[in-house]
Amino acid sequence: MTAGPEFLRPSSVEEAVALLAEYEDARPLAGGATLVAMLNAGLVEPDAIVSLSAIEELRGIEESGAGWLRVGAMTRHAETAASALFKDGQWLVPHAASQIANMPVRNMGTMGGSISFADPAIDYPPALTAAGAEIEIAGKAGIRRVPAPEFFLDWYTTALEEGELVTAIHIPPAPAGSVGHYEKLARVSGDYAIASVALVLAVEDGTCSAAQVAVGACGPTPIRLAEAEELLVGSSLEAETLAKAGALLAEASDPVDDVRGSADYRRRVIPRLLAKAVAAAQTRKSKEAA
Amino acid sequence: MKIEDSFEVSAPRERVWQFITDPETVAGCVPGCSGVEVVSDTVYRAKVSVKVGPIKASFNMEVELVEETPPEEVRSKSRGEEGSRASTVSSDNLLRLEVVDDDTTRVHYSSEVSVVGRLGKFGLGVMKKKAESLGRDFAICFKEKVEVAGASA
Repeated sequence: MTAGPEFLRPSSVEEAVALLAEYEDARPLAGGATLVAMLNAGLVEPDAIVSLSAIEELRGIEESGAGWLRVGAMTRHAETAASALFKDGQWLVPHAASQIANMPVRNMGTMGGSISFADPAIDYPPALTAAGAEIEIAGKAGIRRVPAPEFFLDWYTTALEEGELVTAIHIPPAPAGSVGHYEKLARVSGDYAIASVALVLAVEDGTCSAAQVAVGACGPTPIRLAEAEELLVGSSLEAETLAKAGALLAEASDPVDDVRGSADYRRRVIPRLLAKAVAAAQTRKSKEAA
Repeated sequence: MKIEDSFEVSAPRERVWQFITDPETVAGCVPGCSGVEVVSDTVYRAKVSVKVGPIKASFNMEVELVEETPPEEVRSKSRGEEGSRASTVSSDNLLRLEVVDDDTTRVHYSSEVSVVGRLGKFGLGVMKKKAESLGRDFAICFKEKVEVAGASA
């Protein structure tokens, strides 16, 4: 039995990045919801753990101008779920946050930690992809911003290079009057998704004027397709159009067979989840109007 | 878990057979494979490293040829231990060369893989996807080696 990893607790992003570079296999520790479980299972064996808990600038959600929101990487799911700062379709993000696991995990887990691990079945990747979010990354070379589709690259693989860490997630304003919705299909409440659909939708006089859709848990990365969204925009969102858009998304998916469902089952439920998400978004809109 | 796929090589079966039974060529195309050691005519050893996201594993593999039917079929068994950990992978493999025409051969491969130990705690669904993508990388590399050798011959 060797000695455990070094435990380090820097107080600034610069210091954290320097520490990550100093060790051969250092891991940043955010909320620990996943990393601690993996350490316990012996799946990862870092030589240093760089806790981000003392870095003030990584905390909290704020309006950053022109309708954008900045969510600090260390913001807990519970705080995101309860935030009133998300406007119009941006609400998709807190809606997804409210469906992650259970209360203890939502009190621990953070947005930055969750997306850095990039488990294909988690809730933020599709939500952030549909919302058009950009991921802010700090490394030795400084700060860079990467759009969500360029951040999620493969199974458990992101654009993060060795020694880099996510510092914030930037969420753009959603189309005026749009609503957001996160439709998650899981075996029981709090489980990982079998499949999910994240949606930002705007409807004017019965015609869809904006649609941003991403499918989660059905491939290495979230699936967002311009062709599917183009079908929806300008339509009256009738069943036939939704089925066509859903079929395109299902065709682009590459799901796994696992204990939560077969690949074939996942492909079949994608169009149905899309229809369900659209119906739920429209119901929410009419309630808001009432 | 069962991994099964096939790919086509623009070369006659005899030549594909020569390459596919050469441990150096095969090992050179297995992603993450290094340090091939020929123990005997039918036993090889090599180190294979795999990485999925934050999880890294490195196995000391031993491959044993069980049955050869030149130039058609090879059955082999492989077993790998992950250092001192109680973590192993083992597989039964079948490789079959099918003549498509005089200059084209289809390589069929299938493996029944079992994973025991710490990696077994990781989702098998994703592991299968990873194995399939490693298989495709192997195919691209192998095809190129055989075809380039054919072009210069």
